[in-house]
Amino acid sequence: MRILSIFALLFCSQVLADGIVVDKVYHPYVLPNETEFEWRLLSRQTDDGNLLGQRVAFGKSLNESLMLEAYLVGEKTETEDFGLQAYEVELRWMVTEQGEQWADWGMLFELEKLHQSDDWEFTTGVLFEKEFGQTSLTMNAFVVYEWGENLEEEFETEFRLKYRYRWMPELQPAIEIYSGEEFFGIGPAFMGIYRIDRQKQVKWEAGFISEISQSGKDHSFRLALEYEF
Amino acid sequence: MQARLTKIIVLSVSLWAAFSVWSKPLEFHITLKDHVFTPSQITIPANTKVKLIIHNEDDSIEEFDSFDLNREKVIFPNKKGRIFIGPLPAGRYEYFGEYFPKTARGIVIVEDSNVN
Repeated sequence: MRILSIFALLFCSQVLADGIVVDKVYHPYVLPNETEFEWRLLSRQTDDGNLLGQRVAFGKSLNESLMLEAYLVGEKTETEDFGLQAYEVELRWMVTEQGEQWADWGMLFELEKLHQSDDWEFTTGVLFEKEFGQTSLTMNAFVVYEWGENLEEEFETEFRLKYRYRWMPELQPAIEIYSGEEFFGIGPAFMGIYRIDRQKQVKWEAGFISEISQSGKDHSFRLALEYEF
Repeated sequence: MQARLTKIIVLSVSLWAAFSVWSKPLEFHITLKDHVFTPSQITIPANTKVKLIIHNEDDSIEEFDSFDLNREKVIFPNKKGRIFIGPLPAGRYEYFGEYFPKTARGIVIVEDSNVN
């Protein structure tokens, strides 16, 4: 709980900028020989309107500790139809062997470019996971650097947390917290694994996150499906 | 001065070596042969971190998988893989090989005492 408090103090009060904070809480693990397709959906409703974001990705592990993923990001806003918004490349590094240290650590490096403009975003940060009996605490602390023709050059921070109960493989309830960009949201989430055959499996995640630091309406529903083979 | 420095270095190295030995987790070896884990059942102490070393003697890849233990680990052909588990409360924890789940199965028994 001490670590949780430190992270919360560090990140809850940060004032940030323009993206969407609710996304996916990353685990620090990589398996060699893993290939995956991923689809993520985010539907965010605020007093100003609705935003629908989707991303599709292809990922492949490079070795026993590195996973590379490439994304196409699409968005629909209140003023724009759904269309390609950005490209993204992501590298995940499993720094420690699962269970060897007091906690498990990883790092994330992510580079995104907007499709129709020369605007960029680089994200890096720490991935943390610690088991407590049948529960797992996962935390991500990111620093984001934005620059480009339409973006003001700036640093931002983001913090994500998931506290999960490993009830059964197919259904694992959790609580998620997201902080960043003047946003502090919390809500229930669920994840699970459905095994098809050998290494073929489908992982799913869903969450409903509500902003609680402001009085206005701000609800996000997120869904992620991964097919691993 | 040099003698004092030498003593400090020797003491530090000794402490580090002692700590390394003291903190080394218990090791348990399991062999995978013909897609069967042997022994298929091991008993480990409760509330203690242990290291499983899986020797894959098959010519095919296998993935150690256990929801009970919350571990997944790929073990390449004719290589060994190390898996750290625990500390765990007493109980029965099942695992299997993802590629040959019908034959490659095992159980980790966690007991308060009588570890083999």
